Amino acid sequence: MQKEGVTLKDLKHLIYFESLLEDANNELVRQAHEEGGVTLGYTCFHIPEVLLNVDRCFSVRLRAPKTGSLDIATYYMSNYTCDYARALVERAIEGGYQFLDAMIGVDACSAMNRAMEHFEILNVNEKPDFFVTHTDMPLKVTDYYIDSYVEQMRVNVLDRLTEVFGVDTSDAALRAAVREHNEMCAIISEIGEMRKAEKPIITGYEFHIMNLVSYTCPTRLILPYLRETLVELKTRKPDSKSPFRARVAIVGSEIDDPSLTKLIEDVGALVVSDRYCFGSTPGREVIELNDEEDALKQICRHYMEVGECARYISDEKVQQRRDTADRLAREFHADGIIYEQMKYCDYWGFERALASHVVHEEYGWPVLSIDRVYSNGSSGQLRTRVQAFVESLEIKRIQRERGAV
Amino acid sequence: MEKTPKYPNPALYRAKNNIDWKAQWKNFKEVAGIFGGMLKETDWKKFGQDWVETLKADGKRISEEYRAFAACTPEEKLEAIRYGEKHLGRLYREGCFAPVRREWRGVKDTIYDFYEWARLWGVLLTTFSKDLVPALNSALYYRWMISYFCCHSFMDKNLMGLRGSNLRMSHELTLCMFRYAAENLVLLAKGDAKNGNSAELNKKVVLFDEMTMSQIMGGFPDLIGIPYQLFPVFMVSEMDQLICVPYIDAVESFGLPADTCPVPSSECGSLVLDALPHMGSCFISSSMPCDGSVMASSYVARRFPDLPVYHLCFPVRYEDEKTLDAAVQDVKDCIRFVEEQTGAKWNWDAYFESIRRFNTETQYELQKWEVNKTNYPQLIGPSVELYRKWNYEMDGGLDPRTIKSCKKVDKLLMKAYEQKEEAWRNKMRYRAIVWSCPPHYYANFSNWLANCWGVNVVVEMESLNFTKPLETEDKDEALRDLARLYERMVMRRHTNGGYHNVVTELWKQCEEWNANIVIMWQHVACKNMATVQGILDEQGRELGLHLIWIPHDLMDPRTVSRRTMRDTVSSYMRTVMNAEPIDESLLDFADDVTM
Repeated sequence: MQKEGVTLKDLKHLIYFESLLEDANNELVRQAHEEGGVTLGYTCFHIPEVLLNVDRCFSVRLRAPKTGSLDIATYYMSNYTCDYARALVERAIEGGYQFLDAMIGVDACSAMNRAMEHFEILNVNEKPDFFVTHTDMPLKVTDYYIDSYVEQMRVNVLDRLTEVFGVDTSDAALRAAVREHNEMCAIISEIGEMRKAEKPIITGYEFHIMNLVSYTCPTRLILPYLRETLVELKTRKPDSKSPFRARVAIVGSEIDDPSLTKLIEDVGALVVSDRYCFGSTPGREVIELNDEEDALKQICRHYMEVGECARYISDEKVQQRRDTADRLAREFHADGIIYEQMKYCDYWGFERALASHVVHEEYGWPVLSIDRVYSNGSSGQLRTRVQAFVESLEIKRIQRERGAV
Repeated sequence: MEKTPKYPNPALYRAKNNIDWKAQWKNFKEVAGIFGGMLKETDWKKFGQDWVETLKADGKRISEEYRAFAACTPEEKLEAIRYGEKHLGRLYREGCFAPVRREWRGVKDTIYDFYEWARLWGVLLTTFSKDLVPALNSALYYRWMISYFCCHSFMDKNLMGLRGSNLRMSHELTLCMFRYAAENLVLLAKGDAKNGNSAELNKKVVLFDEMTMSQIMGGFPDLIGIPYQLFPVFMVSEMDQLICVPYIDAVESFGLPADTCPVPSSECGSLVLDALPHMGSCFISSSMPCDGSVMASSYVARRFPDLPVYHLCFPVRYEDEKTLDAAVQDVKDCIRFVEEQTGAKWNWDAYFESIRRFNTETQYELQKWEVNKTNYPQLIGPSVELYRKWNYEMDGGLDPRTIKSCKKVDKLLMKAYEQKEEAWRNKMRYRAIVWSCPPHYYANFSNWLANCWGVNVVVEMESLNFTKPLETEDKDEALRDLARLYERMVMRRHTNGGYHNVVTELWKQCEEWNANIVIMWQHVACKNMATVQGILDEQGRELGLHLIWIPHDLMDPRTVSRRTMRDTVSSYMRTVMNAEPIDESLLDFADDVTM
C-alpha cells in the first residue's frame, strides 16, 4: 500500500494519455480505423457524441494539437475570429484531418459553422465518401425544438451514416452505444468526484488529460485504460501537504488545451471543476434511458437539458448556467471561479462579462474573468493574472480565518 | 365603406401620463447644474475668438465661392444656376458638427428642397405636439434625444448632390422615416417610467428587439410594437457618428470584449448607462441576426427584471424546411405570450389586412429593383436604403400612410425612367453593389461614392431579403410565411444558413444587377462575414469583379475613420481603375466630428 506521500505517485497511463493528445489521428484512432471503424469528427457538444459511436462508428472530438501559425486560416477567416475554429481550418488545410470519414458539423456558432464549411469548400479531405453535415441547433429548449433537433439528428446525421457507410442506427444500436458511453461517463464522473476531497488524489491537470482522451479516442479502446486508472486512483494516497494555495472552478468556453490547466495549477490554484466546452460538466453525465420512448429522442433531450452553452438565451437556461457555476464551486469546495472565454467567441464574450458580475454580486464568489487564445501554455500575461487571483483568494482566506466578515 | 382607422391610434398619444414632477424638478436641477458647471468652465475669450474665426472662415468661403463663380464661363454659370453646385467638399469645415450651409441645387430643386425642409419641420412639430412635455423632457435624460434635433442636417447629408426625380423620391422616403421615428420617440417618452410614466400606454406597448420586424403586431391592432433599441441606439447611430462611443466605452469597462459587434455592444452599453427608457408591457427578444445579437437580450433581462421577455429563436438553417414547424410553433407561442401579457386578442382580419398592405409595399420595392437593374437606375442613394430599413421593414405594413408615399414615389420613378433621367446628374460612371454590414457612422457613404467617383450603388445586401408575397387567406400557411419572413430578415437572410447565402448569392446579384464593382464592407467585428472573407476574395477575383474592401467598425468611428474609408476607395479607383474623380473637393475633407 502506498503511504500518504510528499507528492502524488505518477499514474501508470498518464504519459500514454498525454501522447494520445499529441495528434488528432492518434494511435487508438488509427487502430479503430484499421479494425473497420468509421471515423467521425465533430467539435460541438450539441452533436450528441453517443450518436457518433453507434454500430461501427466512433467519434473523435477534433483538436489541433501543437498549433503554430494560423496564417492560411486567417486569410480565409480573418484574424478577428475564434482561434479554435481557425486552428481547425489550418490543420485541415495542412492535411491533418485526412483520416476522417465524415465531419459532423452543427450550426451552433458562426465561427464553427464557417470552419466546417471551409472543410467542404477547400476539399480538405480526399476520401470519396467524405461528407460534412450542417445541422440546425435550436436556441431554446421546448418540446417542438426538441422534436426539430431529433429530426435534424435523424435525417442529417444517422440517415446519412446509414446511406453512406451502411451503419446500423436502429433504436437497439443506439441503446448499445449509450451503454458503452455510460460506462465511460461513470468512470470519468467517479474520477472527477475525487476532486472534491480536501486533499484530492488527482490534480486538475491529470483529470483534464483523462477527460480529453475520453473525447478524442474511440470509447471502446480507451475504456480499458480508464478502468485501470480508476482502480489505481482508488489506492492512490494524497500529498501530505497540498502544494496548492487555492481551489478554483473554471467556467466558460472551449478548452482543449491541458496546458491552460497546467498553467493555472503551476501558480498554485488547483482546478477542481471544469464547466466548459470539452470539460466533464456537461458531457460526462450518464444518459438514463427508459424503455418506452424512442432512444434518439431521449438522447437529444438529455443533451439539450444538460447543455450549458451560452447560446441558450431563454431565461431558465441563463439561470441554469449561473446556478450550475455556483453549485459546482460549492460542491467542489472552490475558493473562487475563473470565467474564461476563447477570444472572439461572441456567445461567451457576452456571457462572461455579465455572469462574472452576477456570480460575484449575487452568489458571493470571487471571480477572475479572462479571455484567452487557443494555446495558452506560455502566456505570461495569463500566468500573472492567475497569480494575482490566487493571492487575492489567499488573502480572503486569511481574513476569514481571522474572523473577518 | 368602412373608414380605415387612424394610424397610429390617437388614443395612444392621449393616454394619461403620470409624471412625477418632484423627480422631474430634481432631474432638471441636476441637468441645470451640469450646464451651469459647463458655462462656468467655458473659456469665454476663446469662445469669442472661435466665433470670430468662424465668421472669418465664412467670409473667406463666400468670397472664394464668388470668385469661383465669377471665373466661370457664361455656359457654366447658367449650368450652376440651373443645376446647382459641383464642389460639395466646400460644405464641410474642420471641427464643425454640421455642413457650413445647405446645398445649392439649382433654382427649381433648391426651392423644392426648402419646401421639403419645411414639410419635415411640420411633421416633426405636429408629431411632438401630440404630447410635447414628456417628449422634450427626454432631452434632459437621454443624450441620444439631442441627436434627433439634427435630423434636418442628416436629411441634407443624405441628399447631397441629388437633383430632379431622385431628389423628390428621396425626400418622400425621408419624410416617412422621420414620421415613423418622431411618433415612436413621443411614445418612448410617454411610456418611460422616468418621464411620462403612462401606465395606460405601457399596457399597450410591446417592445421588440432591435432589427426584429413588427409584422406580427398586425394581428394586434389595439397594441403598438416598438423596436426597443432602434431609436436610442440603432437609428441615431446613423445620424450621429459619435453617439455610440460612450455606450461602447461603458460596456467595455464593464468587461465586454472589444472585439464584439458594436450593435449589441452599444445596446448593452446603453443599458449600463441607463439610456433606455423603462417601459412597455413585455419584450420580444430575438435570435437575429448573429451570435452577438442573440446574447444582448440577457442584458435587457438583467437591467429590467420586471419586464417579461419572450425569446423568439428561429432556426438558423432556415432553408431546411424541416425546421419550419418549430419556427411556426415559436410564432404561436409568441402570440400567446403577447396575449397573456397585454390581455389583447390576436385578430386574423387585422393581420391579413396589414399583410396585404405589406405585400403591396413589397411590390413597390420590387418595382424599384426592376428599374435599378436597367441601364437607367433611378432611385439610388442613402435614403432608399434607410427607408427600406427603418420604414418598410420595421413598420411592415402597419401604417396605411406608407402606401400613399409608395404610390407617389412609384409614379415619380416610372416617369423618370421613361424620360431616362440620370439619377446622379452627370455622375453615372460605374455600377456597384454594396455587400455585408454597412457602417452606421457613415450612412451616406454611397452618396460620397457617387458624388466623388461616379460609383453608383444600385442595391445593397441588406435590401435583398424575403420578397415572396405573404399568405393572406390560409391561417396555417400565413404563420409559415410569417416565420419564413422573420427567418430571412435583414442581415439574417445572408449571415445565417450557410455561406451560399452570402457568397454565392453575391455573384448571382452582381450578374442580375449588372454590377462589376462590389463595395465590400469589412466590418472588423462581424464574425459571420469575417469568416468568409477569403472565399469572397478568391471567388470574386476568379469572376473578374472589383472587390473594394473597406474596413469599418460599424458604430465606432475611432477604429476606422470616415476619412480612412474614403481613402481606401480613392486609392483603389486611382491605382486599379485608373480613374479620375468627378469632384476633387470630396477627395480630402475633414468630417471627424461632423454628425
